[in-house]
Amino acid sequence: MSPEPYRSVTTCRLATLVSVLLLSSGCQRLEGPEEISTAPTVPQRGGTLVIAIGNDIHGINPLISGVDTQTTAVLDRLFLHLFEEQADYTEHPPTFEPRLVESFEWSADGRTLDLELRSGVSWSDGVPVTAEDVRWTWQAQTDPELAWGYAQSKQNIRDVEIVDQLRLRIHFHQRSPSQLAELNEGVILPKHAWSQLPFSEWRSNEPWFVDHLIVNGPFDLESWTRQEQIVLRRNESYFEPELPRLDRVILRVVPQKQNQLGELLAGEVDFVEQVPPSEVSRLEEQGVQILRFWARQFNYLCWNTQHRLFADPEVRRALTMAIDRQEIIDTLWYRFARIAISPILTSIWAHDPDLRPVPFDLEASRRVLQSKGWSDTDGDGILDKEGEPFSFELITNTGSQVRIDAAVMVQEHLRRAGIEARVRQLEFNTVVSRALEHDFDAMLGGWDIDTSLDLTYAFHSQSIDDGYNFGQFSDADVDRLIDATNQAMDPAERMLLLREIESILHRTQPYTFLWEPQRLAAASNRLRDATPSPVSSYFRLREWWLAEAD
Amino acid sequence: MSSSLLSFLVRRSAAAALLILIVLSLTFFFIHLAPGDPTLVLQDPRLTAEQREAMRSAYGLDRPLAAQYLSWLRAVVFDADWGISYVHSRPVTEVIGEYALPTLLLAAAGLLVQFGVGLLAGVTAARHAGTSRDYLIRLTAMVLYSLPVFWTGLMALLLFSYNWSLFPPGHLQAVDAASLSPMGRTLDVLHHLALPALVLGLAAAGGTARFTRNSLLEELGEDYIRTARAKGLSESRIVWIHALRNAAAPILQLFGLSLPLLLSGALVVEVVFSWPGLGRLTFDSILSRDYPVVLATTALTGVLVVVGNLLVDLLHGVTDPRVRQ
Repeated sequence: MSPEPYRSVTTCRLATLVSVLLLSSGCQRLEGPEEISTAPTVPQRGGTLVIAIGNDIHGINPLISGVDTQTTAVLDRLFLHLFEEQADYTEHPPTFEPRLVESFEWSADGRTLDLELRSGVSWSDGVPVTAEDVRWTWQAQTDPELAWGYAQSKQNIRDVEIVDQLRLRIHFHQRSPSQLAELNEGVILPKHAWSQLPFSEWRSNEPWFVDHLIVNGPFDLESWTRQEQIVLRRNESYFEPELPRLDRVILRVVPQKQNQLGELLAGEVDFVEQVPPSEVSRLEEQGVQILRFWARQFNYLCWNTQHRLFADPEVRRALTMAIDRQEIIDTLWYRFARIAISPILTSIWAHDPDLRPVPFDLEASRRVLQSKGWSDTDGDGILDKEGEPFSFELITNTGSQVRIDAAVMVQEHLRRAGIEARVRQLEFNTVVSRALEHDFDAMLGGWDIDTSLDLTYAFHSQSIDDGYNFGQFSDADVDRLIDATNQAMDPAERMLLLREIESILHRTQPYTFLWEPQRLAAASNRLRDATPSPVSSYFRLREWWLAEAD
Repeated sequence: MSSSLLSFLVRRSAAAALLILIVLSLTFFFIHLAPGDPTLVLQDPRLTAEQREAMRSAYGLDRPLAAQYLSWLRAVVFDADWGISYVHSRPVTEVIGEYALPTLLLAAAGLLVQFGVGLLAGVTAARHAGTSRDYLIRLTAMVLYSLPVFWTGLMALLLFSYNWSLFPPGHLQAVDAASLSPMGRTLDVLHHLALPALVLGLAAAGGTARFTRNSLLEELGEDYIRTARAKGLSESRIVWIHALRNAAAPILQLFGLSLPLLLSGALVVEVVFSWPGLGRLTFDSILSRDYPVVLATTALTGVLVVVGNLLVDLLHGVTDPRVRQ
């Protein structure tokens, strides 16, 4: 969930299900960034890239820096993962390209994984990266005292056994479709440097890690002036020849989006993320590159299914039919979004392409509501039944103007159907707290999702009390199908199960699925091969280059 | 220092300490009672209840609120220990120390502009009351005072940074400041400081100018001014030495009250001008429920209010002999 609507907190990480209620951040790319208009040239080495960012990073130790997207995006350039998730999930489950790992092999029962680390990879102080680092990192990630935010991703790992300096054996409790993604969660850290400080002292000594920073990724930290800028420089000991191409990357903290764009147009920065759709035409007219991809995000209206008004699936479906989602998209997102259909995004391999959005049909909506006993008996323009008006509170979070605007549009659409929605904006934490306590009628929010396609988080009944099933949706068939999906190793079987779930959710509408947005980035024309994606805003930053290296 | 002044200072300091304690205690309970907690904001939503509890235990949030309050109070009062920031994972005093400097620099520069420009404009308007110069100054002052700092800041950036490149577009220093000489860095900071300080200071200068004009006009109508003129003193001496000194009391009050206001005003300017500082730190800390940082910044603001008022009283004593007696 994201703390702040504008400044989101989502993390574009593997197997990570993050964030409700943020404006931005999706994590995966459905289609590549649009072609850069300039003619292709041979990649050049050198130059300083300046990126505008909205928030500073929280620290340089990923295990104590929370799950902030910006922090993760930067630290992933300093430290290597075992694998690199690829943004190729449109046709099949995402693949994982070995990074620190040279090769890997599964046992027949799928519960043991043999890894061989790449030889010749060293830390920036010259010490080789070994199996000891991998095992120690796992111990740190699962240490209860450290309480790493993603520790749950390691729950299925029983042991990390060192075979020799470069070989490991990972023992899992059980087989699951997301084993590799979960293993890959988190970067590998330098045991020889950081084990000198006991875990119990980590959370109070963040500066110690800056002083003892040793990296194995493509970039090293040159300097960090808090709330001002982070300067990365090429790690000369990085294992891939000729990479990274850039000498330096400067991440300038510019809180205001308008100022980020102003600095881009003034030539002060080269790359701005999360460009508002309304700015695209203006930027394009001024020769700025616009890079875009489908975010792994859907926005929704969550109905509290235990509320008397929303308990009936047919009524919920009638409400969806009364909301003109295309108008919301046309008005607020220009051409950079599409109607969401289910929690399995239309850009994901398992989505059923034959499933169409619930149509906008005001007359049909009225007919359904009338058949359920709702009519305007007192002529006040609001439907009523047994003396009770069809009136409810719709909450959303402050800070995300697009969500607030969407809530107002929903209010107007429902008014035409004779339904009163009272829009209420609340501070983000308050919305989250009320959602967790199911203390709302309807809520407008958003989910950033990963590619695990584990729908337990919001649609399994077990997540009502311990999870994010805010609307208390409960359906025995959906529970059974989610459980089966999480056990199915065969992608074809998983796809069938997921499509069954999609079909049920489409019919019962625990959510009205509103829109799936694109994420837009703006770049100066000298920037080449920039490939922001849902995996990371700086995906393959090591390969980005500047046409006129300074 | 006379014993009466010492006694006055001791009484005021004790009252101030009590006031700050009350403010901090209220802040402590209010922020802890606000919905949401750091584990929700800072961590993965997939955390199980058990993991979340471990997290809360690491932050010391699993204990009863009263116990948390007492241990926090004890640490603050007896050890001057403000705790560890949940977000920054280091002592709060370090965090505050680092972020306070740019804010104090901005606030000091803003104050300089506010009172430099405000006093000059107010005195000029009073000396030429009823003339076109007076009307022009009053109109300008009203416009400056009425415009929201947020808007003024954006417009200033648009005009003076993006269009005419006279000032840098925000930030404390240039991208390559590290490569500059110490003198170069100082000049670079001053160059970056100019526009935000002008925006912050000029908005308040409008109010100061009107305030000064009105106070001064009252004094200029007094008998002793007529006497001074009859004695042949120059108009400048009459205004700047005699009248302004007697009109200083309300202006000094304004100065004292401006100290904390400039801090809160700095938040807006910090955001617009990408200026690192306490305002942004406080705002982010509230959103992320970083309780120790919120409490420390609240204390700092409280201290500034108290110090500002104390300063006013002392300066009042300096400028007005009747107070000293």
